Amino acid sequence: MPREHLLKIGVSGIRGVVGEFLTPQLARAFAQAFGTYVGAGRVVVGRDTRATGPMLQHAVQCGLLAAGCEVIDVGVLPTPTIQIYTGATHARGGIAITASHNPPEYNALKLFNSAGLFFNHYERSELLDIYHQSGFRQASNHEIRGVSADYSTPPRLHFDRVLAHVDRDRIRARRFRVALDGVNGAGSVMSVAFLRDLLGCELHAISVDPTQVFPRIAEPRPDTLGELSALVRRHSCDIGFAQDPDGDRLAVADESGRVLDNDDVLALAVEAALARRPGDVVVNLTTSAAIDDIARRFGVRVWRTPVGEANVVETMQSAGAVIGGEGSNGGIVFPAVHSCRDSYTGMAFLLDRMAATGATISALAAALPRYYRKYATVQFEHGRLGPLMQALEDNYADAEFDRSDGLKLTTPSGWIHVRSSNTEPILRLAAEAKSEAAVEDLFNQVLRLTG
Amino acid sequence: MPGQPTLRISHVGLRGVVGPGGLTAAHVLDFASAFGTFLESGGPVVVGRDPRASGVMLRDGVLASLLACGHDVVDLGIVSSPVIQHAIRRLDAAGGISIGASHNAVEWNALKFFGHRGIYLSTAESSELLDIYHLRKFAFADWTAVGKLRAESGAIDRYLDDLAAAYDFTALRRAKVVVDCCNGTSSPILRRMNERFGFQFILINETTEGVWFAHEPSTTRSTMALQLAPLVRPLGADAGFLFDADSDRVAFSTGSGDPISEEVVLPLLADFLLPHSSGKLVITNLSTTALTEEIAQRHGGKVVRVPVGRQSAMDALARYRPEQIALAGEGTGAVMMPRFRFVYDGIASMLAILAMTLERGQPLSVIVAAYPRYSILKGQVPLSPQRIPALFVELRERYHDGRADISDGLRVDWPDRWFHVRVSQTEPILRVICERRGDPPIGLFDSLMEQARAHAA
Repeated sequence: MPREHLLKIGVSGIRGVVGEFLTPQLARAFAQAFGTYVGAGRVVVGRDTRATGPMLQHAVQCGLLAAGCEVIDVGVLPTPTIQIYTGATHARGGIAITASHNPPEYNALKLFNSAGLFFNHYERSELLDIYHQSGFRQASNHEIRGVSADYSTPPRLHFDRVLAHVDRDRIRARRFRVALDGVNGAGSVMSVAFLRDLLGCELHAISVDPTQVFPRIAEPRPDTLGELSALVRRHSCDIGFAQDPDGDRLAVADESGRVLDNDDVLALAVEAALARRPGDVVVNLTTSAAIDDIARRFGVRVWRTPVGEANVVETMQSAGAVIGGEGSNGGIVFPAVHSCRDSYTGMAFLLDRMAATGATISALAAALPRYYRKYATVQFEHGRLGPLMQALEDNYADAEFDRSDGLKLTTPSGWIHVRSSNTEPILRLAAEAKSEAAVEDLFNQVLRLTG
Repeated sequence: MPGQPTLRISHVGLRGVVGPGGLTAAHVLDFASAFGTFLESGGPVVVGRDPRASGVMLRDGVLASLLACGHDVVDLGIVSSPVIQHAIRRLDAAGGISIGASHNAVEWNALKFFGHRGIYLSTAESSELLDIYHLRKFAFADWTAVGKLRAESGAIDRYLDDLAAAYDFTALRRAKVVVDCCNGTSSPILRRMNERFGFQFILINETTEGVWFAHEPSTTRSTMALQLAPLVRPLGADAGFLFDADSDRVAFSTGSGDPISEEVVLPLLADFLLPHSSGKLVITNLSTTALTEEIAQRHGGKVVRVPVGRQSAMDALARYRPEQIALAGEGTGAVMMPRFRFVYDGIASMLAILAMTLERGQPLSVIVAAYPRYSILKGQVPLSPQRIPALFVELRERYHDGRADISDGLRVDWPDRWFHVRVSQTEPILRVICERRGDPPIGLFDSLMEQARAHAA
């Protein structure tokens, strides 16, 4: 029985099961620490559709107001929309109340700086120090600002940013038939407006009622998207999209209803972006080598980072990358829109690519460099990672090693990446090779070593 | 006094200057969570606030805590405590929280708690609440059972429906009255009465932005003399009324612009209500004017005196049947009437006073002029807690010829005068009050103050 992490307070912020663990007290204190850190000024607050969201939003607002911040309440919105609005309005910072793809009993605070970006590692540890020191700023009556609402600007701002990078008329002219599974999440209302009204799609949507609970496992993975596949087939759609509860991740089904591998979705987006404007690409260590092949075709460089959106975004900024993301979890980051994972950029890019090429989504995916991938998680005690890494190095003397996040070893036939989870005592394994046999072989060899 | 700790947690709730050393967000969350834990489930919890800027911060903390404890919450926005109490009964709510520091300056704030039917918590209930607060073991709901929030904007209208059923609004609305709202919760109520019923209230200090109040929100005679009283005669008004921030207290001035002591509100209403009431008891505290006894005796009423503080008044009320009581109140201008289910309500008190002038056919100046003159002097001395018992012993010995009451500090009565020396429940000070029928008891007051200062901090 693995230890369950019902509450986690760390450099990534605060996340936990609401009730006994994630309390309004903790949310208030974290928000007040945040307000103390960013300073008295405007702070944007929004949330996803979890039932515990309003409670936590009031706790967060209480902490921000107590620190002398002025709260801009943007209501229920996707995380990327909140980030874009925070950056565009030059607020001191922003807080999204969402546990992203985690199950509904969880909630969390995602914290953004004045540019609407995740804090870098150093900023996050500074904030955590303030939280632990508890010496928060305490505004007095005449220093306490109010709460004002702006529900209409953020979606408009977000759509304008995305549509500036695709040929909207070209997409509209095709009147794509699109299936959508909004998981009743923060993107539900916006996605309908985006696909149907702005991009002129014939939309067949399910789970787009933000007042209802998540009807499926929140993470958009092939095994959780049976309803989307059925919807695509029932209405003979050209493509199907699925979001996670806070609208940053995207999963895609082709016209046969088959859910595409997230690595392929990222690869298609990278292709689309590089076709518009070549430039460097940043992906995490676990992302497919297909990205390297595509980059090579455009003559641009690929940077690899440890897993985590913040790592990818940080490197993208310092490298001046034109696109990046994380293959395995469905995150596409296109900095010209905003340096954050954004499902709307993904949807627009894929529709635009289909419109430009006249090809079906399955044909586009089939044209990608073909690799075989395998993932697994293994129960594993944290302390044993060192010896395992040593054993791997001994076994693969000829391989190329990267130790920036666990161990990734690259052999002529493929690569395997072994890393321990930050939150659970498990080991995450990912492997990729040119043939199914090669990936099985690589995978099993390593699995044996984990004993 | 910046830096001076002001936080006060007691049976009447949580109070302090918002900011460092005072009332902080952390206190608000914990106290509201304690209340959410204390309240039985069943029915929503009603929340409202006065206009202080800090009220928004307190409100968000209160809402988060109550929702987290699994209570549905109805947020009434900026409303008076009596409106909150009225809504609790109307919605059959489990209880309510009023966010506002009534007569304290704008930098203060407080939480006040109401139980089922809008009643202030009893001493036993508030003891339990304090225990939960100190234990900090809160009963947060499972994530599936977190409460739902809704805002309600019609609470003032429903409250006014009730007042309109009790008073003849058609007659009362002819009164021309100037009101100093002190930027508090009386403002939205009175504005609505003008709009909806055609009252002719001329409002001053009626904005509710909450960063500053025009003056201290106290209902004292000196506050009234500041802005309101000088306006009454030039505007040709029949009377002037002054409310504190949560409009549970009221004071008035006559049509000629004389500011009347807030002490007179209770005897005046006793004079009006006793002849109509089968109940003959007037419940008040030890610091309130002896004019109350004199007026009560005229109508066969009897005054019951209890220690100062709302809690003592509530405990006293619980010892009698409601029909035995004519009214209850204190010298601050806070009065509760049985008709309004024993809620301190300045607006209802004002309407009763106006109804009295109509019934008598006399202006307030004439009614008040007929009362014997009482002169009250009030002072305060910083506290030195360890020397207080000695002070009380000394005072008792020195004034042994009077009748002593030691239920709240020391009160000594003589036939024509009395004094009361007690420790404030809300501030670290000793209060000295003395009164005489006729001229001010200057000699007695001076020697009391001198003796108190000798034991001061």
